Amino acid sequence: MEAKKKAAFRLGIYVLIGLALLTGIEYYIAWVSPTALTILFVIALLKAAAIIQYFMHVTSLWSEEEH
Amino acid sequence: MAAITSSLAEYQHQLRNNRLGLWLFFVSEGFLFTALLVTRFYLWGNTRPDLDQLLGLTITVVLLISSFFMNRAESAIAHDDRSEFLRNLLITAALGLAFLGGVIGFEWTGHIRPSDGAFGAVLYGMTGMHALHVVSGVVFILIVWNKGRKGEFSAERHWGVESCAIWWHYVDLVWVFFYPAIYLMGTAIHL
Repeated sequence: MEAKKKAAFRLGIYVLIGLALLTGIEYYIAWVSPTALTILFVIALLKAAAIIQYFMHVTSLWSEEEH
Repeated sequence: MAAITSSLAEYQHQLRNNRLGLWLFFVSEGFLFTALLVTRFYLWGNTRPDLDQLLGLTITVVLLISSFFMNRAESAIAHDDRSEFLRNLLITAALGLAFLGGVIGFEWTGHIRPSDGAFGAVLYGMTGMHALHVVSGVVFILIVWNKGRKGEFSAERHWGVESCAIWWHYVDLVWVFFYPAIYLMGTAIHL
């Protein structure tokens, strides 16, 4: 139980770091080339995918869960 | 024991329906936010108003961190750790209020007014609609916190917490697209 909780907390930290890194990258890209709309949009899509998968647990819609 | 098992099975069946209902609601909300994004690209094109970049980045990071704490709160109640759950909920609500403070207290008191043509209208329309959802999220969090404080929710039954968490992450998800659209994309034009 405790190990599971720690693993869940650790995953949350990894996702946060990933999102922060992507935000930093998009900020840098916009600073260098503000008209690079496609790249900025792709980064936003990657961030959205991470949030949907790891924070919003979209897979719980079709998978059996314990709770 | 059989009655408890049956009741839990019913709860899990209801849970699946609840989740589907919430996600369908997100789809309908998605149309609203997509319409705002399309409006932004139609009216602003490859330009944007010259906004405070540090403020934009700061409130974005604040909202991302709030999502992290909301995730911790949900994990905590899923593992029956009530004190951790309540503490993380309050941190999330505080960060949500900090985000609102950044938008309303600083961005809305800047040099751009709602009456400043397409730039003002779209900026206030997008940030206003999003802020409204943040407000509803904070209220939702405080309601869940109050119920949790009174002993509601458990590792087995915490749909109230789960829906609140998913709602909060959805608010974050919308900002993931709004932030670059408002602050980063296009050539800055000083009004």
